[in-house]
Amino acid sequence: MPGDVLWLVIALPAAGSLLCLALPSARAILAATAAGVPAIATASGAVVWQVFAQGPLMTTGRWLHLDALSAYHLAVMMLIFALSSVFARVYFGAEPVPLSRRRARRFGALWYGALAAMALVVLSNNLGIMWVGVEATTLLTAFLICLHVSPVSLEATWKYLIVCSVGVAFAFMGTLLMGSAAAACSLGGTQFLNWTYVHDIAPRLDPKVVKLAFIFLLVGYGTKAGLAPLHSWLPDAHSQAPAPVSALFSGFLLNTALYCIMRFIPIVEMATGNAGWSRGLLVFFGLFSILLAAAFILAQHDLKRLLAYHSVEHLGIIAVGLGLGPLGSFAALFHTLNHSVCKALGFFSAGRVGQIYGTHDMRRITGALKAHALWGAGLFGSILALIGLAPFAIFLSEFLIVKAAAETRAYGTLVIFLAGAGVVFIGALRHAIDMAWGTPAAAPAPRRTSVLEGALVVAPLALLLVLGLWMPRPFQDMLSSAARILGGAAQ
Amino acid sequence: MHGMTDGIMAALLVLNLALLGTSRLAFCITLVAAQGVLTGLLPLVSSSGVTLRTLFLAAAVIALKGVVFPRLLSNAIRGADVRREVEPYVGWGLSLLLGLGLLGISFWLGAKLPLPAAAPEAALVVPGAICTILIGLLVIVSRKKAVTQVAGYLVLENGIAAFGLAVVPDVPLLIELGILLDVFVAVFVMAIMIYRISQEFDHIDADRLSALKG
Repeated sequence: MPGDVLWLVIALPAAGSLLCLALPSARAILAATAAGVPAIATASGAVVWQVFAQGPLMTTGRWLHLDALSAYHLAVMMLIFALSSVFARVYFGAEPVPLSRRRARRFGALWYGALAAMALVVLSNNLGIMWVGVEATTLLTAFLICLHVSPVSLEATWKYLIVCSVGVAFAFMGTLLMGSAAAACSLGGTQFLNWTYVHDIAPRLDPKVVKLAFIFLLVGYGTKAGLAPLHSWLPDAHSQAPAPVSALFSGFLLNTALYCIMRFIPIVEMATGNAGWSRGLLVFFGLFSILLAAAFILAQHDLKRLLAYHSVEHLGIIAVGLGLGPLGSFAALFHTLNHSVCKALGFFSAGRVGQIYGTHDMRRITGALKAHALWGAGLFGSILALIGLAPFAIFLSEFLIVKAAAETRAYGTLVIFLAGAGVVFIGALRHAIDMAWGTPAAAPAPRRTSVLEGALVVAPLALLLVLGLWMPRPFQDMLSSAARILGGAAQ
Repeated sequence: MHGMTDGIMAALLVLNLALLGTSRLAFCITLVAAQGVLTGLLPLVSSSGVTLRTLFLAAAVIALKGVVFPRLLSNAIRGADVRREVEPYVGWGLSLLLGLGLLGISFWLGAKLPLPAAAPEAALVVPGAICTILIGLLVIVSRKKAVTQVAGYLVLENGIAAFGLAVVPDVPLLIELGILLDVFVAVFVMAIMIYRISQEFDHIDADRLSALKG
């Protein structure tokens, strides 16, 4: 089958992982990730393109499946991975103590491994294998958090491991329940856990079992996606991990879990008579995440924890969007890309600014624009984009969600969403201004800036700016076809 | 065969309660291993009976949960020089009472759950599985030692395995193996973490890992 090319999207990163174990030096490993991941991303881009040009791909045996929804997520994931891999080389190169070969090997192998696992989640047609992939991402990324061993990084890693493993175990209960509902309607065979199959028979599933399954799935994958009040691991892991890893966590690890929830929405809706039951739950969790994150953003002193709570907020915004009909789904998918790109830049900048100041305490970071013009601007720009300042793309996607709320007459949701976003805007803007201007604390010596660093700041900001002002037609079609799947279309 | 399934489930429940009343970490590990072996036997006495597939699965589960995991966990605490769980959040007596309460709730839930009618073959499987899951959670939240939390995770995992057998008897082998691989790596990673924590902190008290707040 032509779809068998999909195996390569998983096999290539797995091969990269082995390659990193064999390379002789830390330099070589970092170069291999910085060059190899963008190459894999480009190749995957061709596969994604094929899906949007010619329709979904399926491997023999129906194990892997790439439709518009998964292709869109695969594209975002590859973009974030490519950017973060290039940044990893810059970041570790600027560390006061260079990475030892042992640590670099661990980093490279786990980094490629995480790429393979996330690709498995996104590509998997079988709901059981999808779960296996999510759990694998937890395990493969755990040691990336404590790459630099310290008491606090070990604490963060332990919390991450326990909370996410237990949470994701609940998602497995949900998967089993969904499987039992599907098996009850099927005539045997091993197809009953395949998304394409469950999707086909969705209207015949027992609505009670499906509802129970979705609650387990939402709690389980919601823990990994950082939806409040299940987000307790998130700020610790994001703040203790090295900056490239934080960027990856915030940029796509959370979305991987939310993607799993998205896969189940059309099935649950069709099984429960399109009454918007699952969408209501998503709006509830989303709004709660926005409000809780807003409170913590106001009182935050640590730069990376600030960005981590922004992740809770934005994943909440995506969840709210998913709950608000076709336009909301469109906006939520658009917001996924915007948030991931913006947050990757945010953590890149926080990492480099943190290296320059030797701290992530925002009270001690002042005059960042003077201390290092490029990364100071990156930090300031990313926070402005993150809080939804026009004309950046996040403003547009949030505006579309507001519009979707007004169209579906969800006025309560509209008010709570705007109130939360308003508090975040004011709170984070104050932090951003305090960090950007003022006399630089301890006047750190400016470092040389490479073209690569410049590109890492300019490219994400330019992308956010362009998408905020003008949405290219093919991109719009891509979002629409992915949103149609969320609405219940077969492809 | 239903009689044997119920017998195994009853043994699982007894092990659950024993775990709640134990303070010695080595004994905890042994109890969880015994429970793992029993869970491994479940597919053999289920409706599919003894086939190549169930034999292979049972062998894999018993080898992992009965031999590999206890070794990994014992090695992890050897360096830490910790023998007992001291002063848990919930005392031993209260834990046992809670355990009995959870058992009652599980039977009530087991009768209430809208599971597909054909699925439950033996009376004890669904309530027993739910009870095992709940007690696993209780152990995770009420104990302080990192290694006891891993024991709780394994109990939770055993409960889910039993539950899966009851509601979806024919999960494709590839998925079963993927799940086992995940659980294996999870315990492996957790054991390494316990070792590292004991090296860095001179203790393995998860409740004292509390520097990160807000």
